Amino acid sequence: MRGTLLYIGQRLILIAITTVLVSSIVFLLLHQIPGNAFLNENRQTPQALAAELHHYGLDLPLQQQYVNWVQGVLHGDLGESLVNHGVKISPLLIRETSVSATVGFFALLVTVGLGLILGVIAALRQNTWVDYIASSAAVIGYSVPSFVIAIFGLLIFGHYLYVWTGGTLFYQPGWGKPEQIPVPALALGLPYASYVARLTRASMLETIRTDYVRTAWAKGLKARVVVFRHALRNALIPVVTILGPLVTGIITGSVVIENIFGIPGLGKEFVTSILARDYNIVIGVFTFYAGLVGLANLTVDVVYPVLDPRIRY
Amino acid sequence: MTRFSVFRSLAVAMGAISTLAACGGGGGGGEALAADQTLSFPIVDDVGDLDPAHMSAAVDIDIFHNSFSGLYKFDDALNVIPDIASGPPKISDDQKTYTFSMRKDVKFSNGDPVKSDDFIFSWNRAARIQGDYASVFQPIAGYDAVANGKAHDMTGLKKIDDYSFSATLTDPAGYWYTEVALWTAWVVDQKVIKAAGKEDDSAWASDPATAIGTGQFKMTARTPKQSIDFAPVANWYGGSTGTITKVHIEIVADQKAQLTKYESGGYSLIGNANQLLTPEDVIRYNSDPQLKKQLTLQPAARTTWIGYNFCEGAGKPSKNCTAASPFAGDAGKVGREALSLAVDRDQLVDIACSKGIACVKATGGVIPKGLKGYLGDNTDPWAVFDKAKAQSLFQQWGGADKTKNLIYTYNTTAFNKAVCDNLASQWQANLGFKMQCTGQDRASFFKARTKCTYPIFRHSWSADYDHPQDWFDFLFVTDAGSSGSCYSNSQLDQMAKTANTKPLSQSLDTYKAMGKILVDNTVTGNLVYTVQQYVAHDYVKGSGGNALYDFYWADVKILQH
Repeated sequence: MRGTLLYIGQRLILIAITTVLVSSIVFLLLHQIPGNAFLNENRQTPQALAAELHHYGLDLPLQQQYVNWVQGVLHGDLGESLVNHGVKISPLLIRETSVSATVGFFALLVTVGLGLILGVIAALRQNTWVDYIASSAAVIGYSVPSFVIAIFGLLIFGHYLYVWTGGTLFYQPGWGKPEQIPVPALALGLPYASYVARLTRASMLETIRTDYVRTAWAKGLKARVVVFRHALRNALIPVVTILGPLVTGIITGSVVIENIFGIPGLGKEFVTSILARDYNIVIGVFTFYAGLVGLANLTVDVVYPVLDPRIRY
Repeated sequence: MTRFSVFRSLAVAMGAISTLAACGGGGGGGEALAADQTLSFPIVDDVGDLDPAHMSAAVDIDIFHNSFSGLYKFDDALNVIPDIASGPPKISDDQKTYTFSMRKDVKFSNGDPVKSDDFIFSWNRAARIQGDYASVFQPIAGYDAVANGKAHDMTGLKKIDDYSFSATLTDPAGYWYTEVALWTAWVVDQKVIKAAGKEDDSAWASDPATAIGTGQFKMTARTPKQSIDFAPVANWYGGSTGTITKVHIEIVADQKAQLTKYESGGYSLIGNANQLLTPEDVIRYNSDPQLKKQLTLQPAARTTWIGYNFCEGAGKPSKNCTAASPFAGDAGKVGREALSLAVDRDQLVDIACSKGIACVKATGGVIPKGLKGYLGDNTDPWAVFDKAKAQSLFQQWGGADKTKNLIYTYNTTAFNKAVCDNLASQWQANLGFKMQCTGQDRASFFKARTKCTYPIFRHSWSADYDHPQDWFDFLFVTDAGSSGSCYSNSQLDQMAKTANTKPLSQSLDTYKAMGKILVDNTVTGNLVYTVQQYVAHDYVKGSGGNALYDFYWADVKILQH
C-alpha cells in the first residue's frame, strides 16, 4: 500500500511537471502566430489596438508575460478571455471540462461495453457467423474515423429519424438534455470499441485455451462462471493496458466531435480559441488536456494491479 | 417556499395581471398576449464586450442598446433623435461648441440619478480606455492628450450645471452629432465603476449585479458561453418597457441546431444580434409560402467588394507599401476595370447569396442602398457584366502576364469562400486566367491586410452610422486605418477634409462626388450589398430591425399561440 501511494505521488509530480512543460511550450509557440485577438474589421486605430494589447499585458516582453502567466497559474487563475471580455477562464474551463467529461465517460462506456461484448461473443463463437459478423463490424468500425461516424450519426438520427417519425423522435445537436448525449458518445466511442473488440477476442481466444480454464470446464463449473470469473478477468489485462491511450484518444477525439455536434466542451473551446487567438484560453485548454491525459493514464495504471496481482508498485 | 418568495411570486403574478389588464385584456389592436412574455433567441458566439467603452461588435451593440443609452439614439429610419438629451444640441456659430441639455428624470437601473458629471466621466473614461470606437471623441479638444496618456480628461468637456454640459471641438466636425448617438457615448454609472475597482477595468459590466445602465432592460444572469438573461427595469424612468418580461439569449454555435429549436418553438426568433441562417435554410424559408411568412429580409448596411492593392513601390503612396502592385495607378486601372466587368454579378449572387436572397448586386457605389451617400441604382458602370469589353481591357492591360500566380486572399468564411471560388471561375471563363483562392484565419488576414500585403483581396465594411464620413475616413483617405489597399488621392483627401467640417445637409453632394471618384477610378470592385435575415413566429410581433440595428426589445410582444 505504501509503495502504491509513493508511486501515485511520484506520478502526480511528473504529471504536474509535464503539464507545466506542455503549457510553457504552447505559451511560447502561440505567441509566434501572426495576428492577435483584437484585430478586426471595425474602425480600429493603432492607438486603440495598442491600448487593448497594453490592457492585457500583451505589450510586455514575452519573458515578463510568461512570468505573469505562471504566477497566475500558481494562484489557480488562468486569466481572462481576450475575446469575451470579463470571462474568467478557470471557472469556464472547469465547466467545459465537466461537459467533455460527460461525453467522454459515455464514449468510454460505449468503447468498453460494446468492445467487450463483441469481443467475448466473437471469441466464444469462433469461426461461426456470429464471429464473422462481430469481427467484420469491428474492422469496419475501426477503419472509419469518428468524424465520419459523427456525420452519419447526424444524418441518421438527426435527419432520417426526424423524417421517419414525423418529427416526434430525433436527435437535436447541442447540449443540455440527456437525449443529446448518446449520438456523440457513440460517434466518439465506436472506433475505439472496435479496437477493444478485436483485442478482447484475441485475448479471450488465448485465455480460453489455457489449462486453468480447461480445468474449470472439467470441474463442471457453469459457463457463466468460467467465462466471466475465470477467463474474462485475465483476458481483460491487455484491454486495460490500452485503456490509457484509449482515454487519450477519446479526449483528443472530442475536439472534432464537439465541433460537429455543437457541444460546448473543452474540444470546441480548443478550436474556437485558437482561431480567435484567445491566447489565455488556448493555454488553459492545453493545460487542462495535459493534466487530464496524465490523470487518465495514472488511473489506468492504478487499476492495473487490481486485475493482475503480479503487478506491484 | 419562503415567505419572501411567496410575496415575490404574488407580486409577479399581480404585475402580470396588471400588465394584461393595461393591455385591455389582450394585446394592442385586439391581439391577445401570451401569458409567457419571454423573448428568446440564439447567437452563435458569446458577446465580446459588455462595457460601452470597449464595445465594437454588432452582436454586442444590438443586445446592449437595450440596457444602456446615451444622449441620442437612432430611430428606425436611422435619424438621430434625443434619448437622454432633452433636445438637439445647441451648436455655436463657429460649429465648434455643442451644448447638451439633459432630461432631469433619468435614472440608472439601480436608481442613481443621471447627471452631466456622469456623461463627462463616461466620455473621458472611454477616451482613456481607447476601445475601437474611442475615436468618436477625437474631435473634442484635448482628446489626443488623453488618448496618448498625457492627460486624464478632455479639456473640451465642461459641466454647465447638473443637467447640461458642453463639448468644444478642435475643428468643426459635421458628422459628430451623429457619432454622439453611438454606443461609446452611452452613459455609465461612475459610482458603480469606481466601487468595482479600477476605472478602466470592465469587470463591472460582466457581472449582472453591477451591469448598471439606463436602458429599458437589465442583465439578470449570465453564464459565459451559454446564456444571458435580461428583465425589464422596474419603474424605468422613461415609462413603459413594453410587454416582454424576460429576454433569454442562448449561445448555440450550430446554426442548424438553432433553427431546429426555433422550429420546435424553443426560440421566439432568429436573426436578432446580427445572426444569419444557413444559405440552404434561407432558400427553404424563401421558397415555401408558409415559411416565407416568418422570414423578413432587411437590406443591411454592408458592402463587399474586391480590394485592389494601390502600392506603386516601397513607401509609395503609403508608408505601408513594400512593393509595386499590378493594380496600382493609371496602368492598373485598366486591369481593375477588366476584372470588374468580367464578373456576372447575377451569377455571383445566385451562387454565393442563396439565390440572391442573402445579398444583392452592388450597382450604386461602395455605400449601400438606403444609406446617405448611395449613388443610385446602376450608377456604377464597372459593376455590369461585359465580357467583350473586359477581354479587350484585359489584353490592353497585359493581363496574361500580370495575373500569373495571382492569389485572392480572404478571411475564411463560407460566404467569402463562395465569392472567391465564383470570381476565380468567372475570371477563368471570361478572361482565361487562373486565380488561386486562399483563405486565412481572420487575425492573420486583418494583420496582413492592414499592411497592404495582398495584391487582390476580399474587403467589406458595415456602416457604424448613416453618414458617409464613416466610409471615407476609415477606408479611402490616405493612410486610412481600415484601407488594406493603400489607396491615396489628394483630391479625395481634400474633399473629405472640407466635407467633414460641414453639416450633412451641406456636405452630402461632396460626399457623393467622392463616391463618384471611387467609382470612376474603379478603386473598389463592388460586388454585393448584404441582406439581414430574420425569422420570427407569426405570434412574435414588433421584431426585426433597420439597416444597422435590431428594433428595441420593448417594441416586441408575444401573442397567444
